[in-house]
Amino acid sequence: MSPSLLARLARGRGLDLVALTDHNSALNCPAFEEACRREGIAALFGIEANSVEEVHVLCLFGSVADALDFGSGLRALLAPLPYDPEKLGDQVVVDADEGVVELVDRYLGASLDIGFGDLCEDAAARGAIVIPAHVDRPMFSVSSQLGFLPTGPYDAVESMREPPAALTLGLAAVSGSDAHYPEHVCRRPFAAELPDGALVEGGAPLLEALREALRAGRVRPSWAAPP
Amino acid sequence: MRISELAASLGLEVAQGSYADREVSAGYSSDLLSDVMANAKADAVLVTVQAHKNAVAVASLVGLAAVVVCNSRPLPDDMVEAARSEGLALFKSPETAFEVSGRLWTMLRRP
Repeated sequence: MSPSLLARLARGRGLDLVALTDHNSALNCPAFEEACRREGIAALFGIEANSVEEVHVLCLFGSVADALDFGSGLRALLAPLPYDPEKLGDQVVVDADEGVVELVDRYLGASLDIGFGDLCEDAAARGAIVIPAHVDRPMFSVSSQLGFLPTGPYDAVESMREPPAALTLGLAAVSGSDAHYPEHVCRRPFAAELPDGALVEGGAPLLEALREALRAGRVRPSWAAPP
Repeated sequence: MRISELAASLGLEVAQGSYADREVSAGYSSDLLSDVMANAKADAVLVTVQAHKNAVAVASLVGLAAVVVCNSRPLPDDMVEAARSEGLALFKSPETAFEVSGRLWTMLRRP
């Protein structure tokens, strides 16, 4: 799924804000920013990072530059698994018009040589919104890989269904699409109360407005009934 | 030793039995899929507790002969279905990964 298709589907299906979080990479964020600008939808830029224990964590940034910067640090930590396009399909970086800019030759789904705790600390220190991903999934989650959610600098947790208290540590739980394919864009969206103008302003102010909403619990996941 | 002989000797429960019954080269024990991708060899048997369809995807990518899920972990339907469509031998054992790996070692590696 290209960044431009994601932006188009997100807007078409009624989202007000959408984040791109490729596995271990922010290389498609420049195209995503341009595509979201064309569609007129607010965007955040992120990475779904994969720790050495194979726990997925969402790291969201307000600017493409911050996301790229974080991503380039991760690149050095990526396990050197060669990428076989014959078996896995092409792994591409594209522009906003779906032109191929680069073929990445390392498998981006591999784990990073950094523990979950250090990964979250590093992302938080760089100003990211840090959200352990799909905490209730039987794979690639804190519950499947660690057995519990250790304390850490999280702003929220993301879950498929309403998570048990042990997997939230009192933080807000949000839902998310985890969309790997076009048909999954906009499934399980969550609502957030943001101040007027935050979506239009975008960037760091939007990131901080979302962080505040998450921290204050002014969010409603897809499993919760509307007020 | 062929996959079916090995499964019989280990007393494994067959979860997906439609596969080409080929020679097994070695065993590999791991619960980290990145590690399996990086280090397991083709035609090996994977001993793991990872009971989900991504384990099957990695097994086909590496060309593993079979996957043994330990500790009687329940196998989700989509995992068994994925194994069937890949023609991958998928087994279950009530034993721990340590026990299965130990017995596998004596069968495949013991001089």
